[in-house]
Amino acid sequence: MALLDRAEWYDIARATNWTPKFVSEAELFPDIMTGAQGVPMAKWEVYDEPYKTSYPEYVRIQREKDAGAYSVKAALERSRIFEDSDPGWLSILKVHYGAIALGEYAAMSGEARMVRFGQAPGMRNMATFGMMDENRHAQIQLFFPHEYCPKDRQFDWAHKAYHTNEWAAIAARHAFDDLFLARSATDIAVMLTFAFETGFTNMQFLGLAADAAETGDFTFASLISSIQTDESRHAQIGGPALQVLIANGRKAEAQKLVDIAIARAWRIFCILTGPSMDYNTPLEHRKQSFKEFMLEWIVGQFERSLIDLGLDLPWYWEKMVAEFDYQHHAYQMGLWFWRPTLWWNPAAGVTPECREWLEEKYPGWNASFGKCWDVITDNLLNGRPELTAPETLPIVCNMSQIPICAVPGDGWNVKDYPLEYEGRLYHFNSEIDRWVFEQDPIRYRDHMSLVDRFLAGKISPPDLMGALMYMNLQPGEMGDDAHGYSWVEACRQPTKAAAE
Amino acid sequence: MALFPVISNFQYDFVLQLLPVDTDNTMDEVAAAAAHHSVGRRVAPRPDKVVRVRRQGDEQFFPRDARLHETGIKPMETLEFIFCDR
Repeated sequence: MALLDRAEWYDIARATNWTPKFVSEAELFPDIMTGAQGVPMAKWEVYDEPYKTSYPEYVRIQREKDAGAYSVKAALERSRIFEDSDPGWLSILKVHYGAIALGEYAAMSGEARMVRFGQAPGMRNMATFGMMDENRHAQIQLFFPHEYCPKDRQFDWAHKAYHTNEWAAIAARHAFDDLFLARSATDIAVMLTFAFETGFTNMQFLGLAADAAETGDFTFASLISSIQTDESRHAQIGGPALQVLIANGRKAEAQKLVDIAIARAWRIFCILTGPSMDYNTPLEHRKQSFKEFMLEWIVGQFERSLIDLGLDLPWYWEKMVAEFDYQHHAYQMGLWFWRPTLWWNPAAGVTPECREWLEEKYPGWNASFGKCWDVITDNLLNGRPELTAPETLPIVCNMSQIPICAVPGDGWNVKDYPLEYEGRLYHFNSEIDRWVFEQDPIRYRDHMSLVDRFLAGKISPPDLMGALMYMNLQPGEMGDDAHGYSWVEACRQPTKAAAE
Repeated sequence: MALFPVISNFQYDFVLQLLPVDTDNTMDEVAAAAAHHSVGRRVAPRPDKVVRVRRQGDEQFFPRDARLHETGIKPMETLEFIFCDR
């Protein structure tokens, strides 16, 4: 039987808006769920998704993708990637799976909200595929690490992380709840698919797939490529939604959603990807620094997307770009120093060669972050490892839930950005985080950070061990130096050589 | 006497930290408690200096012998700990 070309039937088939007779339109599509901001349903019908597909096409392509990823995995089952990889690379895998796999379920729920409450037929159609994408991403990113569980129980955190009160898991849940679980359909289109996926994850997945191939982990490379091609499709749901909002006089509202979402996405991206690129990735496999990556992909590409849509750059853009120089270095130091609180083993990444690279990429690194690492390194060289372990909690930001930190040493600029609201004192990492809170204080005010919970007596005993138990970190799971401190000896040699 | 949490922002360190102190502590004692979590861990010791305490953003330091309960410092207020000559 001859089939019509998709272009000949697609627009008619997906014209699924109708006039309800038994309930009002407002009851069927409550504004709180649609987030349409008063733009009538008819105005949404011009929504034109740039990527069009049909269900048979979708199933065929997805089947091919799954078959490809699973067959690479099967073919390389006997490879020794786990045994032969640099421990820093295994840490990247653990961070990725723990932080992302179950977040995909949250994204699936977000897509489902667009399926049900999207005002535009095209949005509902594309989100249906997006929902299935995210389900696939959750499943495949749980299945792939599962084979490593018998070898290393930290891989169990691919599934476990989101079910715990581990601080990074709290940070991820807080951000993802805000960006796509507890939002309306239109907000999700803008915040999840446009700001988070187009802006950050799509680029991250491209980079991560290349890094995996470079490292020789072809299983992970094919998995990530398979996910990235889904992302690049469903990330396009947001653009036309923004066009409808802007065309109907809602630019200010759209801009605010974008600004909040980028601010939140940047923090998560900075702590996940920054240390992975500049510290965990072995020096010989680094293609570009995190800052170079950010300038090329986020500033270069995403800036253009914003302007092309008729939006402005967020008010804090220059402040955020300035953070490319230091914020992830500060996060890295926090991750390493509070390493027992992680489900992965952070690489220090500060051998003399690494430091040379850091100084080249970030002039002034040795005089700032390097000074703290000097003290840490000396303690390890002098047999005082207890001084490299934490005895108190860092203060975490009441927005990002990540420790408040910045530049140490020369150029010391660490600062609290406090806010008193309804008698409670909140603490933020920057003006940007505080601004997000101020946009909707009622939304955020009741959340208790890990430190707030500690002070409220919810963590018992009230010490670091109690905090580790509260975070569900069992022996064999708590993080330690990825390389078993072998890098420390490399730092001793230059001193010896200089003395000779 | 009562346990009192403040936030330590220690000069040359990279992170804010939770600092449990006592309302009867002098500013020198509060500074010593803050130093325990920073100096010799990530901040190089400076034996020729004393560490003074001030509110974040203030120019003036609290007197070294002032007790916490006399200063008006609120729970979880951020204090700066700065190396000084005296």
